[in-house]
Amino acid sequence: MAYLIYSILDVNDIWHWNAPYTFVVTVFRLLSLLFFFMTVTMVNSVASIFSGGTIPNDLVIGLYNTLILKMWYMQPYGASGPLTNLQEVWTSFFVNLWQVLGDLWNNTFLFLYFLLAGIGIALFLQSLVRMNHKFVGGAFLAIQSIVVLASYRALTVPDLTPFPTDFVVFLLQRAQLLALVSFAYLELSYQMIYSYSVGKPVEDREETLKKQLLALRQATRKQDAIERGESVRTTGMSRTAGATAFSFLREAIERKVVGTQDALENLDAVADVRRLQIYVDELLQSDSRAHDELTAKAASPSSGYIIGSTIIGSIIRFLSVVAISFILMSPGVIVVLLDLPPGILNSVEMLQPEIVLLLLVPVSLLFPFVSMIISWMSQREEPEKPKLSKEEREAEKVRRKELARRKREAAKARRERARARKKRKSSEAEKDEWDKALEDTYGSA
Amino acid sequence: MITQRGFVVVFSGVLLLTSGFAFINFYLVLLGVYLVIGLVVTLPLFALTANLAGIEVDRQIDKVKIFSGDFVRVRVTIKNASRRHFDFIEVHDQYPETWILAIGENFIASRIEPGGNITFSYILQARMRGRYYLGPTEVIMRDRLGLHYYKRTLKEQTEILVYPTWKDVRRMEALGKQRQLGLMFGAHRTKTVGMGSDFAGFREYVPGDEFRLIDWKTSAKRGDMVIKQFEMEKNIQVICMVDTSGSMGNGYPENTKLEYAIRAAVLLTHMGLERKDLVGTCVFSDMVHGYVAPGLSMNHMYDVLEVLAMAEPKGWSDYETAIQYVVEKTRKRSLIIWMTDLEENPAPLLNAMKTLVANGHKAMVISPFGPWFEAPVGQFGPVEKVLAEAVSEELWERRNKIARALARFGITVVNVGPEDFLPTIIKTYEQAKQRGVAMF
Repeated sequence: MAYLIYSILDVNDIWHWNAPYTFVVTVFRLLSLLFFFMTVTMVNSVASIFSGGTIPNDLVIGLYNTLILKMWYMQPYGASGPLTNLQEVWTSFFVNLWQVLGDLWNNTFLFLYFLLAGIGIALFLQSLVRMNHKFVGGAFLAIQSIVVLASYRALTVPDLTPFPTDFVVFLLQRAQLLALVSFAYLELSYQMIYSYSVGKPVEDREETLKKQLLALRQATRKQDAIERGESVRTTGMSRTAGATAFSFLREAIERKVVGTQDALENLDAVADVRRLQIYVDELLQSDSRAHDELTAKAASPSSGYIIGSTIIGSIIRFLSVVAISFILMSPGVIVVLLDLPPGILNSVEMLQPEIVLLLLVPVSLLFPFVSMIISWMSQREEPEKPKLSKEEREAEKVRRKELARRKREAAKARRERARARKKRKSSEAEKDEWDKALEDTYGSA
Repeated sequence: MITQRGFVVVFSGVLLLTSGFAFINFYLVLLGVYLVIGLVVTLPLFALTANLAGIEVDRQIDKVKIFSGDFVRVRVTIKNASRRHFDFIEVHDQYPETWILAIGENFIASRIEPGGNITFSYILQARMRGRYYLGPTEVIMRDRLGLHYYKRTLKEQTEILVYPTWKDVRRMEALGKQRQLGLMFGAHRTKTVGMGSDFAGFREYVPGDEFRLIDWKTSAKRGDMVIKQFEMEKNIQVICMVDTSGSMGNGYPENTKLEYAIRAAVLLTHMGLERKDLVGTCVFSDMVHGYVAPGLSMNHMYDVLEVLAMAEPKGWSDYETAIQYVVEKTRKRSLIIWMTDLEENPAPLLNAMKTLVANGHKAMVISPFGPWFEAPVGQFGPVEKVLAEAVSEELWERRNKIARALARFGITVVNVGPEDFLPTIIKTYEQAKQRGVAMF
């Protein structure tokens, strides 16, 4: 893909290998020009203060330029010797500034082509190692962005204008070949990432379990050693190795190391780790399938089917995408299909790329619409299971009734007590000794 | 549903299409069309195959009732009951937030054949008591390119009851073994005279006394027949009144006032059962949530644990309703230990105590004192510290008033913090045994 783009764009004579260097030099030139102008203007401004508000004569400027700026690299700006007049400096600055800015504009694009090519290749190499969609997509976009930029600069770029009406001609065009290769790269990479990722979680799971069991074993042994009074190397239970992936043990360690000073708390943390060790040991001994279930080894898919289905799936997708895209993009097909009136048929718009939208939008929306209907119908197939069985519902009803009854009774009893209290309060003569005790206590306080 | 990756493809396609339109370049347009069509072309096929109704999930656990801090293995089996291949399926089995994943992983990603199944398991540690549910299970199916997905949540949940922690009992047993003390050591010292082994005193012989009880030596010295008496060993009946009002939920998540009260109740019940005493439990707030009458049955401990496991801090404390309920259910004299933070009005509490004493029961209050269960004072700034001290003084003063009022009924109030909650309950029980309070 990168080579095809390189060879197609090569006719524009843009692949100057010194382009990045030229770009950097141009940037520095611009900066140096700005610096030169600023310093000369500032020196003259300062000198004018001392010379009574008038611009210093040519001798001062010439002297400054000769003594201070004689080493300045002025050749690119057409000044071979020191400029003695301030007006000369300003004129020279404006002329050169536009020239340098123009150079910078041109060089920026050259630089961007190289930069995007570099990013694309780097991401492609990354995608080989890391098998990640981000790298694949990034590489694809970076390489295609070169064509987008070159189109903007109106260079000779891969193009299919006018769009061929013959499918075979369409397939054999060089630009189409580039488009096919680019799309195939995306398609194949994504399929390969699927093949890789479908088996990876099970492998990761097994690896994690190994680490967890090892970390647990080490933690228990270390604790035993501490209890026996032996010295223990701190690396024995490294927090960076196994324990980082093991939240339970990590928390236990934190509770012990940085938790409260409470000895019982420490005891609990140690006991938890030990109990877990015993639990796991017993589990693995009593159930021969326990280890396989923890690692989910049986869930690992067969590689033969994956490879086969990947190839078939890729081919089907690839061919259908190319065929549908050709139909969508070819105005000839539209003419046949829609039987358009001559006004539209002979219009210039038929030759414009925007004509693609005429079919692309409805067709591309048709697919999600169909899938939406299918998934809606699939949901209908899903059996609606009752949440609770009849007995459970009955039990729940009884429980709620009982709760409501108890609440009612409690409220009723409260009301009665409140009434009784009110009655007691009104009859002063019948003062209860317990109430008196209460009053005594709170009255005296 | 389009994934994030799918949206990136859409964005790239639109970018290339608009670039093609802008620069009148059919190559860029074609590439854009490839991407857009490539994204949607297999969508109907994927929708047809990704009928997640064909996926069945079965979850199995070793035990449905465990203690807080225990480990439990969860086995999840995913079965493809349909006739379709699921190219990439992700299964996430959810577990309660407060629990800890000890070993393994609670999710799996793989492909599944028609009629095939995948089994994976993981080990969890239950950290807090209560009724919990494992699940639901989230099943996500992706297409091969990861551009689309369908998600389905299988609502089947597995109920699991977590009893309060058993660590206090384990710790006490470990200490008991270390000290080589018998369970009954020093526990039965009552004032009741009767059949026993400890000497209590002498009394004059009355007709009908057994001859074997006559102490001949002392009778010879006194010149009159005397009977040797022994202290009778009797058991006591205790009822724990655990207040579960909202204020009892204050404190750190695993160390609230209620949690300590529950731990104390568990410890007390265990000690009682070990020594053949009758210990009952009442869980109440504005109503009685659960009551386990004092007993010695095999399942008594589990009944108590179940009631305590369900306790939730909410509502307010209605002492009168609670005691009314307990008094009605309890005929024998009992020692009633209240575990409450005394945050409610004192009048209903005093009325409740009145009822209790009037029915011949003894009582005491073990009260977790609020500020000690809150954030440590060390974490406060100077202003918060002053405020905290002022509030503490105010509360302390209030508690003193309540304590003075209750003292008139012979009921003591013990203010406890997290450190001395459990030792206090042990001490209270031992003292009750030694004083012979509420014997039956």
